[in-house]
Amino acid sequence: MPDGTSEFGIGAKVLRKEDARFLNGHGRYVADIARPKMLEAAIVRSPVAHANNLKVTAPEDSKGRFFTADDLSADCVAPIHVVSKFPGHKGSDYPHLANGKLRFVGEAVAVCLAETRAAAEDMVAATGLTFDALPPAIDMIADAEPGAPKVHDDWEDNVILDSRFEENTDAFKESAVSVTRDFRMNRQAVNPLEGGAVLAEWDAREERLVVHSASQIPHILRNALCECLGLSQNQVHVIAPDVGGGFGYKCVLLPEEIYIPWVAMQVKRPVRWIQDRREHLVTAANAREHHYSVTLHADSDGNFIGIEADIHVDSGAYAVYPHSNILESTMAGRTLHGPYKMSAYKVRSRAVATNKPPIVPYRGVARPGICFAMELAVDALARELGREPCDLREQNLVPVEAMPYTTITGGEFDSGDYPEALRRARGLIDLPAIRARQEAGEDDGRQIGIGFGCYIEMTALQTSAAARAGLAAIPGYEQAQVRLMPDGGLEIGVGVQNHGQGMETTLAQVACEKFGLEIEDVAVRHGDTATSPYSTGTYASRSMVMAGGAISRTCDVLGERIRKIGAHLLQCDLSQTEISSAAVTGPSGSVPFAEISRVWYRNPEELPDSVDPGGVEAVSGFRPEPDNSPFSYATHAAVVAVDPDLGSVEILDYVISEDCGTIVNPMIVDGQIIGGALQGVGTALFEESNYDAEGQPLSSTFADYAMPGSTHLPVLRLDHLVTPSPLTEFGVKGLGEGGAIPPPAAIANAVNDALREYGVEVAETPITPRRVLTAIWKAKQSRLSSVETS
Amino acid sequence: MSDLTININGEHVTANVEPRLSLADFIRDHQRLTGTHLGCEHGVCGACTVLMNGEPVRSCITFAVVADGTEITTIEGFDDDEPMAQLRQAFHENHALQCGYCTPGMLVAARDIVTRLPDADEDRVRLELAGNLCRCTGYVGIVKAILSVLEQRCS
Ligand code: FES
Ligand code: FES
Repeated sequence: MPDGTSEFGIGAKVLRKEDARFLNGHGRYVADIARPKMLEAAIVRSPVAHANNLKVTAPEDSKGRFFTADDLSADCVAPIHVVSKFPGHKGSDYPHLANGKLRFVGEAVAVCLAETRAAAEDMVAATGLTFDALPPAIDMIADAEPGAPKVHDDWEDNVILDSRFEENTDAFKESAVSVTRDFRMNRQAVNPLEGGAVLAEWDAREERLVVHSASQIPHILRNALCECLGLSQNQVHVIAPDVGGGFGYKCVLLPEEIYIPWVAMQVKRPVRWIQDRREHLVTAANAREHHYSVTLHADSDGNFIGIEADIHVDSGAYAVYPHSNILESTMAGRTLHGPYKMSAYKVRSRAVATNKPPIVPYRGVARPGICFAMELAVDALARELGREPCDLREQNLVPVEAMPYTTITGGEFDSGDYPEALRRARGLIDLPAIRARQEAGEDDGRQIGIGFGCYIEMTALQTSAAARAGLAAIPGYEQAQVRLMPDGGLEIGVGVQNHGQGMETTLAQVACEKFGLEIEDVAVRHGDTATSPYSTGTYASRSMVMAGGAISRTCDVLGERIRKIGAHLLQCDLSQTEISSAAVTGPSGSVPFAEISRVWYRNPEELPDSVDPGGVEAVSGFRPEPDNSPFSYATHAAVVAVDPDLGSVEILDYVISEDCGTIVNPMIVDGQIIGGALQGVGTALFEESNYDAEGQPLSSTFADYAMPGSTHLPVLRLDHLVTPSPLTEFGVKGLGEGGAIPPPAAIANAVNDALREYGVEVAETPITPRRVLTAIWKAKQSRLSSVETS
Repeated sequence: MSDLTININGEHVTANVEPRLSLADFIRDHQRLTGTHLGCEHGVCGACTVLMNGEPVRSCITFAVVADGTEITTIEGFDDDEPMAQLRQAFHENHALQCGYCTPGMLVAARDIVTRLPDADEDRVRLELAGNLCRCTGYVGIVKAILSVLEQRCS
């Protein structure tokens, strides 16, 4: 376990190595790269949600600069096809360019190439499209039933997968109190500030395709390019340069990542496509959209018996590669229990295809929806029982003495004190003071409310779970390549991709911890298939756990080789040596790494014959043992003021008490949590990808898609519990996503607490002023009508 | 096509451009100054913020021809600028950036705040920043960084 003594090791607040280039305008994102004779691409996209008999008329004089699905199929380009091992899963092709049928507004139809983007967009405007419009499937609940318009003609209905999770259902009989509610988390968009971006060219000298893409998963993209284009792995080089945020959107394959490279090969010139914000909002980066009908059962003391639920997830028209279109529905179905103990479980979860863009796994994946449904149900139960919601939670959270804990659906919580996180959040936000303030009332007529949200997050998806689902990318042993450089510094290659998480710093800290190096002596290279070991990439809060673990293990291998050389130079036994402060130390003194390097690289004549010919460079790997995932958890607590006349919600206080195991860099941990929390505030209060009944997107700019800004979460206090995971190197747990998970739950519970006297419960995100006012109005109407009828 | 004379980062530039060309595209694609980023191209996110005659403008919704005869400063043009040096250091120390995509626009906006509003408090800083979106940081580090520079410049 790290002792915290190393200046740049695990636990040190090291300022980021990667900052300088961004601060000086020297970051290099895909759109910043230009190649000689490069053509720009603009995409013709479907104007309707559902149609068949698509016919495309090319603009005049566009020969060799205009490509459709016919051109792809003439060249035998294979479509994206995502499989799943879950029985009953309905598969479909995801055509790169629409082929006869249109399945959502914005689906790519044709590629236009020109010297400038503006000229390419002129070609788009001059392209003719005809088709026969069909009624669209837009409502995931109605359209899950037989007789709805079918998104895929050869399917029986639109249900992609119908999963049932049932355990010990007899126990429901023991319940004394039950609450039933409907909850909805609406569709939203991921919105990294940089959207998708691809620059592709055939390198005639290397005889390979070079693709720059804003990707979190360069090796998986290489797999897909090989599968779709029929190229061999050594004919494809994928580089993810600086990437302007990802949050999950960039851990799936975009059709553009296949057809733009293919087009570049056809025209034998570099081709660049830069997604604009409208394309991002409308065509590609949709997420969430869950509906829950939930019944939470408890005995008369408030002990949870179990949960029954019917869940729908609107997965959109296609399955994304490699994570499929059922990741959310199965996760929601299996882990709706959250951090609570219960003895009965009956959940049905359906992934439904609709004529909307495919959903992508966005920060937290299904968990913001799960947490929203479960935590709002807990508060509803507390109101029913007349209990303080916080106390009801404390009573039902998995207690520390039960760890490790097997959940009702077979999950394994590895470690942690869930009730303590709740108690600390309650203390920090000062629940009694808020209750007193509510008693006193507000001078400005607003209503104050307090809400809590507890969650668990399975981080670093394990091999067996991904294999069970049959995903196209199954993470195994994550690998790292660590090389002692000729000057005694270290260069590390990893297959994960850093797009804001600070991994050029935190992963270097792992090596500093192991060897006592200075941070500037360690360089981390990533995001390039030519220079790093294979990896399934960065997603599922896995990079620090997996790549950090791999670096640690590889340093062990490399360390022994370095010590062997050191032992020779010190004329002592290997067992008498150790590494500290970037030197090998033995009984007679120490030899710095720079000296070891000098001998290995520059004066090998000084090495003994018995030296390890593997040298001072090693590759090794790591995965948690046993093959389980470390679980992070937290309690978020929010205090809000709701204006019952305007419907506005202001966050007055916000507290997070979390446990991500051993903290590698406290500054970066805080940054990840805060950034995630504001995204969660966006989900809770602002962000919504609206569609009309025809499937036309209504949120296509930042003017009608509201993003959280600098004024929306002015107060935020963080508190850390540290329970090292028994499964990982140093005890770290994944952290990247967690901050975004519970804000919708905590904020909605706070709003409902504020409006409890009005008999109002909001049950849908985002909690816009209109929704608050509608809820208040409806509650008034039902009071009036009950007065009339009585 | 229209003729254009601009001083960019102290360099005198003449060009003949399409009237529809945006200032952002002129800066990025014609001048190859790629530090100025595009996050929305419709004037909301602020990633494309540059100084025109010392005032922040959104280069994505400013035509290049409108900038004729002006002085433009992009993130690459602040090498000898004291407030920018202070801000860069403060952004670094306060973890005010993650992916870095919003950062150039954010720094230009922040420089405007610290030079124009020496007495700004946190609320004012947050309000002034409302025209710049950052998807990564939650703004806490950015606000802290700006406040720390305001304090430095006061003393
Ligand atoms: S790119 Fe100019 S404001 Fe967003
Ligand atoms: S640092 Fe990524 S958008 Fe601000």
